[in-house]
Amino acid sequence: MINSDLQALVTTLEMAALTTLILLIVGTPLAWYLAKMTSRFKVIIEAVVALPLVLPPTVLGFYLLIAFSPEHLPGQLWQQATGQQLAFSFSAIVIGSVLYSLPFVVQPLQKAFEQLGDSLLEAGALLGAGPIDRFFSIVLPLTKASFITAASLGFAHTVGEFGVILMIGGNIPGETRVLSIALFDHVEAFDYARAHLLAISLLIGSMVLLAAIYWLNLPKRSNSKNLSQVRSVK
Amino acid sequence: MMMSKTKLNKVPTDEYPQLNINIRVSYQQFELAINLPIPLKGITGIFGHSASGKSTLLRAIAGLEKTLIGDITLAGANVADNILVNTEQDHYLKPEARKIGLVFQNSRLFEHLSVLGNLEFSVKRCKNRQLDLNEVIELTELTTLLEHQVNQLSGGQQQRVALARAILAEPKLLLLDEPLSALDQHSKTQLLKMMLNIQKKLNLPMLYVSHSLDELQQVCDTLLVLAKGKVVNFGNIHQIIHQLNNFGDYTLIHQQTSLSLPIKQFNNGHGLAVLALNAQQDIYLTSDKAFENQTQLRCFILASDISIALTEPNNSSIVNHLFGIIKQISHRENKVLLTINCGSQEFFVTISAFSQQKLSLSSRQQVYLQFKASAVRTFIH
Repeated sequence: MINSDLQALVTTLEMAALTTLILLIVGTPLAWYLAKMTSRFKVIIEAVVALPLVLPPTVLGFYLLIAFSPEHLPGQLWQQATGQQLAFSFSAIVIGSVLYSLPFVVQPLQKAFEQLGDSLLEAGALLGAGPIDRFFSIVLPLTKASFITAASLGFAHTVGEFGVILMIGGNIPGETRVLSIALFDHVEAFDYARAHLLAISLLIGSMVLLAAIYWLNLPKRSNSKNLSQVRSVK
Repeated sequence: MMMSKTKLNKVPTDEYPQLNINIRVSYQQFELAINLPIPLKGITGIFGHSASGKSTLLRAIAGLEKTLIGDITLAGANVADNILVNTEQDHYLKPEARKIGLVFQNSRLFEHLSVLGNLEFSVKRCKNRQLDLNEVIELTELTTLLEHQVNQLSGGQQQRVALARAILAEPKLLLLDEPLSALDQHSKTQLLKMMLNIQKKLNLPMLYVSHSLDELQQVCDTLLVLAKGKVVNFGNIHQIIHQLNNFGDYTLIHQQTSLSLPIKQFNNGHGLAVLALNAQQDIYLTSDKAFENQTQLRCFILASDISIALTEPNNSSIVNHLFGIIKQISHRENKVLLTINCGSQEFFVTISAFSQQKLSLSSRQQVYLQFKASAVRTFIH
């Protein structure tokens, strides 16, 4: 692999790792809220979360590009806070990825929380465990497989992202030039050898990651339910 | 012996903690409305049909019913007054702060933890611990199961873990919501004995919900009967059962005489035990090893298991014949329910309308009750 491609790989991994971390922090309470919610607005929030599954990435990218520009409020606030422009930055592609990969993290977690139900949480409460304690001592260990699934899907999907990044990140080496963009560059330059190298790496990488998720979910005692989550998301 | 029984029933309630309940819980099809002080003495039974509000009441006390209106206070001798909930004052103590234990019908064990892990879950969260973990493990006979995964346990074992786990949180009151209903007879008996033993050793008051009067009759001193979300009866268990015989919903219970009598002697050669009904009269029943370390025995005789004779049936194989005076006769379809006084104890007997016609029994008539030793039932075999 050539230096610029290696740089794109590093940018990609950094972006995907940071995105996954943010998604777990933001997605867990959101999934919890959706799992426990009984209001009629639930379907609306669920639809918004699921939107990136069906929306062309360029649509999301287009609106984010407008929002991130210095002429609009989010972009302005960002510029005031950091002194830098948001559009065409590493931060922009992370924010874009978080929105774009949100359903891949929220949906498996929401399903897991729904399946877990309230009965064990009630039991835990009556034994003296408060809400935070219950989350870490009961919910997390019992939905571990779903957390791994959610994190892996979020990560893999972010690595494979193209449209959103092209719209809001452009193609700045070391900043926003990720693998999928680099691949597109090589194809445009008719450098099929380097394109092949990146394409096959992405293909194998994704394949291995997905196989690992399925393997993690498959054989163990009563975790077959998590497999169906992977299927339903994909 | 009779003295001790009377004394047992008349202990003033203010020596015990008391649960004051004045609540309303409404659902679309159902409303629970309870206004009752419950003295927390020994094990109090809560009995009723399904959907009578038994479980809802326990959940309200535990803090799991969020739609409740009203107040619940735990007050009394050894505990400082503790307002669990008072919606007028906008006061709501969370379940984790109530110090009230609940054993559910399905044990609700944590599958990611071993048996010991489940017990330690409680221990770790219990402040100012008084109980010794090993003592509770022995009381619930879990010594050999500690390293097992909970999903490898039988139903009875799981409920023992659930019971131990609830006790280790050191609650001021333990609630039991049909803990035996999914178990086989042997496990039921074992767990009932365990509950009695634990109640006495730890002096832990319990509210025990069940739809099985047989279970409740064996362990409860006091019975609360619910129907359609309202209190129907509340008081001494034997008296309440006898009230239900006369006025209750026929489908609620099997009409019966419910007794708690001192054991007089064992007639071991014949496998019989003798209970003292009063100074003159005894009751024989099939003996059991489990009776040997008890001085008092709870038993019941179904009204349909007793027959009536006009003269003393001395030439019968039936061992129990008691002299009595008919107090009341009530006709129900083609059956007749007789209330008969044997000394100061009321007995309930059902005979067919045909037999009633033949014998033409009348109030204040002297009769003999007869029933086999095996008709005297206990739950703990």
